[in-house]
Amino acid sequence: MRIFLGQRAWLLQRLTALLILLFVVLGAAGLLAGATPSYVQWHAFASSSLGAVLIVLFFGALCLHAWIGIRDIVLDYVHAPGVRLPLLALIGIILCAVLLRVALTMAAHFLPGA
Amino acid sequence: MRISIYRFNPELDVGPHMQDYDVDPDSGDKKLLDLLVRLKTIDDSLSFRRSCREGVCGSDAMNINGRNGLACLTALSTLKEPVLLRPLPGFPVIRDLIVDMTQFFAHYHAIRPYLINDEQPPERERLQSPEQRARLNGLYECILCACCSAFCPSYWWNPDKFIGPAGLLQAYRFISDSRDTASAERLAYLDDVYRLYRCRTIMNCTEVCPKGLSPSHAIERIRLALLRESS
Repeated sequence: MRIFLGQRAWLLQRLTALLILLFVVLGAAGLLAGATPSYVQWHAFASSSLGAVLIVLFFGALCLHAWIGIRDIVLDYVHAPGVRLPLLALIGIILCAVLLRVALTMAAHFLPGA
Repeated sequence: MRISIYRFNPELDVGPHMQDYDVDPDSGDKKLLDLLVRLKTIDDSLSFRRSCREGVCGSDAMNINGRNGLACLTALSTLKEPVLLRPLPGFPVIRDLIVDMTQFFAHYHAIRPYLINDEQPPERERLQSPEQRARLNGLYECILCACCSAFCPSYWWNPDKFIGPAGLLQAYRFISDSRDTASAERLAYLDDVYRLYRCRTIMNCTEVCPKGLSPSHAIERIRLALLRESS
């Protein structure tokens, strides 16, 4: 898992931060411009293919960013291997579950009969 | 002047304690080290390292009023009383203000602090242009006093694995040297979740360096060099 170590993890953390920032700025700009969407509009956005891709992309970046950040905190403060490994596994499972849930929810719009 | 000093003698004391001293500086006492040397004549059990007394050897690094610094460069006139003197934080204490720097120098040796060049040496010397030489400014002046590493929370958390600001500054000094041909190997060694990437850019190192150097800047340059190397 070289991608989650050393320089690549550092780079990934920064790239995902930029992506999250882009989404947050665009969202905030939309709200400031007075475009407060109703539930129907949100639902329509999430049901469109572009909206679904953007939402999955946002949560993907968020989970990846959170994983690297929390892993760093664990590496700094939790030194006992008996605690560190289960804790990292638990965090990894939670983040994967969040991402899976988002992906399945978005995919449900496009499945037949949805 | 009141000075409160961390005292610990492992042969006699169960634990460390602070001991207060009241001492009047002589007209010739300008720096904190002058006063410590005077104190040593009053209480010869007080232990601290010192050598050059002019900020070159880096022996008398200690925590002065909560901030790491060199006693020989700290002017008495700038100190708030009572002056609290403790050993460098995060380092194992040998006795009083003397700390064990074995781990610190192990990291320094691990970055191979010497020029590596297997090419045939020229008849006289390996020349550098003024620009190439200028790249070493702000790097070669490090005296390895450990004020930076001992003020770095990342080093406190992982002193056995994180190289620390002093070691990384030295590593960059050789990476950026035009005469060194082992930059790729040096960077590959540093590309590790612990050795380099424990740095959280807290920048305490730059804040506290008694020589005015910027280890955090050097660490950033190493990260950029790694980025260039991988692209």
